[in-house]
Amino acid sequence: MIDFLQLTVAGLSQGSVYALLAVGLIATYTVRHVVNIAQGDYATLAGLGSISLVTAGLPLPVAILIALISVTLASVLIERLVIARVKNLTTLVSIILTLGVSTLLQAIMLLIWGAEAKRLPAFPGSDLTLGGVSIRSQELWMLGALVVVGGGVLLFYEKTRWGKALRASAEQPVAARIVGISPAAASVIAFAIAGFVGATAGVVSSPIYLSIWSGGLLLGLKGFVAAVLGGLVSFRAAIVGALLLGIIESYVAGYVASGWKDAVAFFILIIVLIIRPAGLVLRPNAVRV
Amino acid sequence: MHRAQRRLLVPAAVAASIALALTGCGASNFGGDSGGGETAEDGPIKIGAVLDITGVGANLGVPEQNTLNMLAEQLNADGGIDGREVELIIKDNQSTEDGAAKATTQLIENDDVDLIIGSSRTGPSLAMRPLVEAAQVPTISVAANAAIVDGSEWVFKTAQNDLVVLERILDDAESKGYTKIALVRDATGFGEGIADIITELGEERGITLTATESFEPSATDFTAQMTNIRAADADAVIIWGITPSAGLAQAAYVQLGVNKPVYQSHGVANDAFFEAAGPAADGVIAPMGRLLVADELSDDDPQKPVIDQFIADYSAEFGSSPSSFAGHAYDAWLVGTKAIEAAGTDPEALRDAIEATTDLVGISGIFTMTPENHSGLTADALIMALAEGGRWTLYEE
Repeated sequence: MIDFLQLTVAGLSQGSVYALLAVGLIATYTVRHVVNIAQGDYATLAGLGSISLVTAGLPLPVAILIALISVTLASVLIERLVIARVKNLTTLVSIILTLGVSTLLQAIMLLIWGAEAKRLPAFPGSDLTLGGVSIRSQELWMLGALVVVGGGVLLFYEKTRWGKALRASAEQPVAARIVGISPAAASVIAFAIAGFVGATAGVVSSPIYLSIWSGGLLLGLKGFVAAVLGGLVSFRAAIVGALLLGIIESYVAGYVASGWKDAVAFFILIIVLIIRPAGLVLRPNAVRV
Repeated sequence: MHRAQRRLLVPAAVAASIALALTGCGASNFGGDSGGGETAEDGPIKIGAVLDITGVGANLGVPEQNTLNMLAEQLNADGGIDGREVELIIKDNQSTEDGAAKATTQLIENDDVDLIIGSSRTGPSLAMRPLVEAAQVPTISVAANAAIVDGSEWVFKTAQNDLVVLERILDDAESKGYTKIALVRDATGFGEGIADIITELGEERGITLTATESFEPSATDFTAQMTNIRAADADAVIIWGITPSAGLAQAAYVQLGVNKPVYQSHGVANDAFFEAAGPAADGVIAPMGRLLVADELSDDDPQKPVIDQFIADYSAEFGSSPSSFAGHAYDAWLVGTKAIEAAGTDPEALRDAIEATTDLVGISGIFTMTPENHSGLTADALIMALAEGGRWTLYEE
């Protein structure tokens, strides 16, 4: 039983990273119908950036703050320089475009930070053991980041007028423009959110999972699988899906074979796309803007 | 809305397949430029190297690349070999078997190299072996598994064999009265066959292998493996892998409260281990070469002057101290260039000269190759090191 709970804890913390990335992916998909393959690279970029700043002598919170802001700006820059330039942006085109962006980001990271994995110092806090289950303080930070940042984005999109306006600009672009919502501004805001959320995932996970230039693609894909579980529109379903994915991966590694771990996500992806493209969304038609 | 979700199906599938295909291959190639077509005995001497510069073997390949570049520069500054310049062509195999095979084919067919060094890890080294055997190009691997040179004609290696490393570990385990050992091993070539060797060597020492778990070198979470190891019946645990994965495994091991002594392999003989494992590294015992405990060596140690010189040169050039892997590359370069000095670049003569290497003092040990032993090092090349306060210290000669 303790082993089972231990695996669950590991799965939840891994899942929290997937969840944050899924939130970022949905943030841009709901507004621009863009599937951003570079979403995972935001995480590694923020991780590596904050590591450099800490090495340069900045205190950890300051380094993290600068990294979060920089990656948010980088995401906006990518929107302005690449995404916004395309006239008839379909989802398929966006995948190919952002795949290019991802490759470019990885090459830049390899040139700046080299090929070796690096670690950000752990956030303050002490590890604890509950009934034989060991929990790292960093894992609590990761889950906390999901609750605060992921939950914040969810509430912003679903409860605030601004958030609803963002979604409106995707569903009814012409009508949205008539009532005064600028599609360009909506797009910029969505990419800023995606950048911030991705960067958050990168800095909170770096102390445990390390940061390496090539790590973003696989991480982003796992987030993408979670986002598909949310039908690419529902933050709630995606977050639940991401946590489930993390837990299932952990069980498979523990009870079947660790080599199968990475295959789980893609197996789930195939099953979901064939059987239930709406993912975990309970009432696909009930999504309103 | 429902239609929009249907529309998702195609792009989603495309995204997944494109990206899946891409995760298998890195983005960049760090390879050097291809050379011209000179093959004559008086042109430049061409030495090719295939290293794990990007990907999971980066902790190994990067210092190896640094070392070879530095040594080639030094050699050419001293006038090369017999007045011939040495041209070093380094290729990145991206830590993959197919990458190693591709790079090796390029070195043989396009660059017409006289000698090949590589790869950094066992898997890619094994992928190179049939190619260089067929093309008859003398090759010196810097990876560990004895299978790389088992029965080979053209392939040699400079890292200590896994067999002698395990002997040292099990001798120590026996002396401490351990009878049950659990193993957590790298799932790739480096960890292949380790369980069998432990079972075999353990038999004569009264030690049995009670559990085996494996991990991918790219893994970041080790809860599953360590949870199973915690439940296993063992007196001590061997974690067999390279950094950073073996270091992260060590951190998970300690965090999950498996309070048994740990042995690691010579795959963690670098500072990257401490970066990955953090304070969890303390108390780990691992067999390795003398490089990382150089300051504790006695003055009459025959390797000391060579090691001290290498540390001084490397630190001056790159601002950090060299790892054992840098040492393996140094040794491959040393063995290779000494043989070229003696025999020139005729493939047969060069191969024979490498095989005739005798009492050559290197970084990882003192090399003596024979037709039966293309690895060149004995158990004497290893010391037992103890991880203490963020560095390796001498535990036992």
